[in-house]
Amino acid sequence: MPPSRVNRQTVTELNALRRRAVELREAGHTLAETQVEVGLSPPTIIAAVKAFKSGGWRAVDVGPRGRPRLDSQKAGMQALKQQLISASCLRAGTSANTRLLWNSERAERWIHDQGQQASRSTILSWLHQWTLQPPSRYRQMRKVSAGEPDSAIWLKRHEQFARRARRRGKTVYWVASRRIDDSCHQLFAHDLRARAQWCVTLAAPGAEDYLRFFQALAGEHKGGIAVVLPGAHLARDPLLAAWLAHSHSDHLIIGNPADAGVARLPEKKAHVRKRIDSNKSNDTMNPSTNTAMATPPEAPAIINRPLTLTHLQRLEAESIHIMREVVAEADKPVMLYSIGKDSAVMLHLARKAFFPAVPPFPLLHVDTGWKFRAMYEFRDSIVKEYGMELLTHINPEGLAQKVNPFTHGSALHTDIMKTQGLKQALDEHGFDIAFGGARRDEEKSRAKERVFSFRSAQHRWDAKNQRPELWSLYNARKQRDESIRVFPISNWTELDIWQYIHRENIPIVPLYLAAERPVVTRDGTLLMVDDDRMPMKEGEVPEMRSVRFRTLGCYPLTGAVESTASTLEEIIQEMLLTRTSERQGRMIDHDSAASMEKKKQEGYF
Amino acid sequence: MQAESNALIASDISAYLDRHEHKSLLRFITCGSVDDGKSTLIGRLLYESKTLFEDQLETVSSDSKKWGTQGKNIDFALLVDGLAAEREQGITIDVAYRFFSTDSRKFIVADTPGHEQYTRNMVTGASTADVAVILCDARAGLLTQTRRHSYLVSLLGIRNVVLAVNKMDLMDYDESVFDSITDDYARFAKELDIEKITAIPMSALAGDNITEPSDNMPWYHGTTLLSWLETVKIDNERRQQGAFRMPVQWVNRPSLDFRGYAGTIAGGRIAPGDPVRIQPSGRMTQVARIVTMDGDLDEAVSGQSVTLTLTDEVDASRGDVISAGDAPASVADQFETTIVWMHDEPLLAGRPYLMKMGTRTVNATITTIKHQVNVNTLEESAATRLELNAIGVCNISTDQPLAFDAYKTNRDMGGFILIDRMNNATVGAGMLHFSLRRADNIHLQAVDVDKAVRAGLKGQKPAVVWFTGLSGAGKSTVANQVEKQLAAKGHHTYLLDGDNVRHGLNRDLGFTDADRVENIRRIGEVASLMVDSGLIVLTAFISPFRSERALARSLVAEDEFIEVHVDTPLSIAEERDPKGLYKKARRGELANFTGIDSPYQPPERPEILIDTSSLSAEQAAERVIAELRRRGILSPPE
Repeated sequence: MPPSRVNRQTVTELNALRRRAVELREAGHTLAETQVEVGLSPPTIIAAVKAFKSGGWRAVDVGPRGRPRLDSQKAGMQALKQQLISASCLRAGTSANTRLLWNSERAERWIHDQGQQASRSTILSWLHQWTLQPPSRYRQMRKVSAGEPDSAIWLKRHEQFARRARRRGKTVYWVASRRIDDSCHQLFAHDLRARAQWCVTLAAPGAEDYLRFFQALAGEHKGGIAVVLPGAHLARDPLLAAWLAHSHSDHLIIGNPADAGVARLPEKKAHVRKRIDSNKSNDTMNPSTNTAMATPPEAPAIINRPLTLTHLQRLEAESIHIMREVVAEADKPVMLYSIGKDSAVMLHLARKAFFPAVPPFPLLHVDTGWKFRAMYEFRDSIVKEYGMELLTHINPEGLAQKVNPFTHGSALHTDIMKTQGLKQALDEHGFDIAFGGARRDEEKSRAKERVFSFRSAQHRWDAKNQRPELWSLYNARKQRDESIRVFPISNWTELDIWQYIHRENIPIVPLYLAAERPVVTRDGTLLMVDDDRMPMKEGEVPEMRSVRFRTLGCYPLTGAVESTASTLEEIIQEMLLTRTSERQGRMIDHDSAASMEKKKQEGYF
Repeated sequence: MQAESNALIASDISAYLDRHEHKSLLRFITCGSVDDGKSTLIGRLLYESKTLFEDQLETVSSDSKKWGTQGKNIDFALLVDGLAAEREQGITIDVAYRFFSTDSRKFIVADTPGHEQYTRNMVTGASTADVAVILCDARAGLLTQTRRHSYLVSLLGIRNVVLAVNKMDLMDYDESVFDSITDDYARFAKELDIEKITAIPMSALAGDNITEPSDNMPWYHGTTLLSWLETVKIDNERRQQGAFRMPVQWVNRPSLDFRGYAGTIAGGRIAPGDPVRIQPSGRMTQVARIVTMDGDLDEAVSGQSVTLTLTDEVDASRGDVISAGDAPASVADQFETTIVWMHDEPLLAGRPYLMKMGTRTVNATITTIKHQVNVNTLEESAATRLELNAIGVCNISTDQPLAFDAYKTNRDMGGFILIDRMNNATVGAGMLHFSLRRADNIHLQAVDVDKAVRAGLKGQKPAVVWFTGLSGAGKSTVANQVEKQLAAKGHHTYLLDGDNVRHGLNRDLGFTDADRVENIRRIGEVASLMVDSGLIVLTAFISPFRSERALARSLVAEDEFIEVHVDTPLSIAEERDPKGLYKKARRGELANFTGIDSPYQPPERPEILIDTSSLSAEQAAERVIAELRRRGILSPPE
C-alpha cells in the first residue's frame, strides 16, 4: 500500500480502518494479515484491539487529534501564508540590503510583526503545514547511510570535505530545492548543525536564483562557504561554474558522474526503508523521511537526473560514431588531410574514436605544390607525433605541365591539381571510402549533402540521387566501382570548430594566428608572398603587415585578413565581432553562387 | 540579449567561451506545405540569431532583387533554398540541415519539403529530431499536408510539437482565427501519439512571436518560438532514463592485452562494475573500464561514444548489443513493423532485403503486408506492395535473431533501414513494434537421417540445376534433355516446371511482380526440400529477378546450386514463340509478359551460359552434363 495514504486519512476514515482491523483480529486473522489488509501499523492495530476489549466498539474510535488543523486552513491563515511566501520570495531587483535568507526565527519575528501572537512551536507547526519548513537533511543522511557500503564511502567523502572546509574556516552548506506548490519553489540550505536557511522562488530555481542564494549565504560568513550541490547540472551551468571557480567557496557535487556509483542507492533497499518509515510515521509530518540519502526531496533518485551533454560533446560523439562505422564497413578507408583547422579537428576526433589504437587508416594529402611552407612543416611534425602513415599525391601531369595558379588561373589550377589529383590518388591506391572535413554550414550545396556521399566510378556526385540517412544508420554498401566520401564533421559550424580547438587544445598551423607577414594587395585581396615563385605585378612591393588566415589552401589563392589576433581567444573574438564568412577568403567560391555545386558534380571534394 | 553577449565578447572573451562551451544541442525539424513560409521562418531564425555573416547577407540582398518575392526587403527564403536547380523551380526539394545558436543552445534544423511525394525526406529529417515545428498558414487553416506532417512526426516518435500558425499578419492578427485552428488541430491530434502540443501564432515575415513577444497579438500570452526551442526538453535526456544499451560498432584490439568494445550508447547509463549481458548470445559479464582518450570515465550516458572493456573474455563482435544485465533487450527473428518505402521500385512481400539495425546487418524478408496506411486520412487498406512513399504495417522475418527494443522505447534499438541486395540503395525505413510469438515457438526438428544419408542411398550428390531465361528460350527443352540423360545413367532426378507447379502448388498466383516473387520463393523452397531428400532437381522457370534467384541460391549449400542461363536474344525467342504468347503480349492481351512489359534481369555470373542460337538442345544438354561432372555432382564417365 502506498505509504502516503496513511497520512492523508481523515479521522472518519481512520476509525473505519481501526474498526475493520478489530473485526479481522477478532475473526482470527494474524497481525501481519490484518496489517496488509487495512494498512495500519501493528501498534495501532494492537491499541485498537485493546481499546475494543476494554470499552467496546465506541472505544475503538479516536477523536480528532491535536489542536484542530482548521486554524491554518482558515482564510486568514492562507493569507498569512501567502504574505510570508511573498515576503520571503527571491525576486530580481530585491534591494541589496534586504536580507534574502529566512529561517524559523526570522519567520517567527515576521509573524509576530503581522500581529499574530502565537507560540514558537505553533509557528513551527504552521511552517510545517505550509511546507515552508525545510525538511531535515543531515541527520537523515547519516541514518540512511548506516550499513550501506557505498553510502559509507560517500559519507566519508562528505565528512572529509566538511572537515577540510571547516579547518579553513568555511561554513559548510548542503543546498537543495523543492516544490512547495504549483506557484512556488523553495531553495534551502542546511549547515552542519542541521539548521536551515531558505527563500522562495516563483519558478523552479534557475542558476541565477542559486547564485543569489549562494551569494547571500557567503555574505553571512566572513570565512566563506563550502557548498554541497545536489547535482552536476548546477556546477555545469556557466553562471554558477564561474562563480564557484572564482569566489572563495568550495563545492562538492553529489550526483556528479564521479560520484554516481556512490550516490545510487539500490532500488530495493530504498523501497524497504520507505515501508518501514511509513509504518511508524503515521502522524509525523516529515516529508523527508521517505527520501534516500543523496537525493534532494524533489527528485527521488539522483541517478535519474539527466546529464545534459553539451553541444560539443554531442557533436564529438556523432563524429566518432561515423568514423567507427566507416572503419567497420570499408575495405580500404583513408582520411583526406588538408592541414587546415577542420582537418586538425577531424584527425583529433579520429584519434579519440580509436583510442588506445592508432587510427587504422592512412592520411592522404593531395598536394598542389603551392601550399604555404608553414603548412608542410606542420603536416610533417603532426604525422610524426601521432605515429600515423601519410601519403602525399601531386598530379604528375599537372606537375609536368607546370600548372600554377598565376598563369592558369584559379579554376584550372584547382581542377587539375585538386580535383583530378584527388581522383588519381584514390584510384591509384584503391581507397573505397575517404573521410573529408567538409561542413554543411560552409556553403549552400553542402547543406543538403549526406554524411555518406556516393561517387560514381568517375567520381561524380549526383545531388538528386542521394541515399536517405535515418537515425544514426549509415548504409555503406556500394557497387564495385563506386566510392564514398564521408564527412564526419558535417554538423559542425565554424564556431564549433574553434571552440573545440580551444577546449581540446588541438594544435593548428600558426598561419591562423596573426603575425607580421609579407603581403601584396591584388584585386582587393591580401596575398602573402610565401616564396619567390610568386610573380610581382608592376608596382607591387610586398609590405609587412599583421595578418592571419581564416582558411588555408594554396597561398596564391588564399586571401589574408588584417588582424592582430595572435591567440585562439582573440581569433574567436574577432570572428564573432566581424562576421564575414570564412569562405570569403577563398577565391574558388567567388565565380557564381552555384559554382561549388558544379565543382562537386565534377568530383571536387 | 544579443547586445549583451556582444559586449561580453568584446570585454571578456574567455568568460564568453566558457559559457558557450556549455551549451546544449537541440535538433528539430520544420514541416509545412509549399507556401506556409517554412524557408522564411528558418531564414528569420538564422537572421535573428545573428548566425549569418555579412557577406552572406549581402549575397542574399542582391539575390532578393533578382529572385525574391518581397520587393526591396530581404527575402529570407533565399537564405535557405540551396541548390541551383531548386532555386530555378522556386522550391526546396530535399532534406537540408541548417545551424544556428543562441546563448543557451545550438540548433540543428532539418529543413524538409512540403510536397506530397516527399514523405521519405520528412521521415529522414524527423528520424534525428528531438522536436518538430509544424507550420500552417493562418489563411488556409489545417490542410491535408498539415495532418500528414503531424502523422509522420508522431510515427517517428517525436513527442513535443509546436503548431506554428504563420502569416497571422495577413489575418489582421485575429485571435479567433488562431483559436479555431488550434481547436481543429487538438481534435485531430487526439488520434496521434503526440505528448505535448504548443500552438504559437506568428508571422515569420514580420517577425511576430519569433524571438520577441508580438505587440500585434496582445491576446497571446504564451511563449515565443525561440524561447520554446531554448527551453524544451531534449530527447536524449529522456533516453538516459531507459535501460542501458550499446550496439558494438568495432572491436578495438591494438595489442594482446587490450580488448575494447567501441560503440555509441543508445540508452541508459553505465559505470564500471555494472553487470551487462552480451546479446543475442546472452553471456553475462561486467564492465571493467570506460576508456576514452581523455581518461577513463566513472560513468557514461546515452549519446556518448565510448569504448568499454569487460571483466571476462567474452565473445562479442560488431552487431552484438551490450545491455544492462538486469534489463536486457528482447531477442527475436520475426517482428511486426511499420515500414516507410523510399524507393521507386516497390516493396514486394517475399523478396529478400538486407536489414541494418544498430550495427548489425541481416537478411530479412517481408512475410506479410498487413495493411497500408493512407497518410492523409490515416485509413488502413489492404495492399500487396508498397510504392514509393507508401507506409505499411508489415511482418518481417530475419535470418538471424536480433536484440531489439520497441521503437517507441528506444529509437536506435528499434529503427532500421532496408537495403536492396542488388543495387545497395537504401530502399526503406522501418520501426519495430514487437516480436511475433512464432519466433519463440518454432524450433528446428533435429533428425537422425540427414541429407548425406539419403544422398548416399541414391549414390549421387544432390543439387539444384536452375535454368533461367526468357519465355521460349528453350529452358524446358534443354532441361528435359538433361533429365533424360541423367535418368539413363541411373540418377534420381525431378524436373520442376511451369506445368507441375503453376497448376498445383502455385495455382493461386498470377503474373504481377509480387506474384512472380512469391512463385519463385515457393519453387526455391520446394527445390531445397528435394535436395534435402537427395534428389538432383532441375527447374525451368523464367525467374526474371536476380534477387529471387539469389534467394533460391541461399536456401541450399554453396556448391549445390547451378545457375544455367539459357541466353537467347529476345528477337529469336519471339520468333520461335512456341506457345504463341509473344503474339498475345504484343497485341496487349497478355499483361506483365517478361521481355515485353515486364523486365528480365540476366544473371551476372551464371555457372553455365548457353546460347541456344548456336547450340542444339542435345549439344546444350551435353554442356550442362559436362559442367555437372566438372563440379563433382556427377561422377566422371567410366
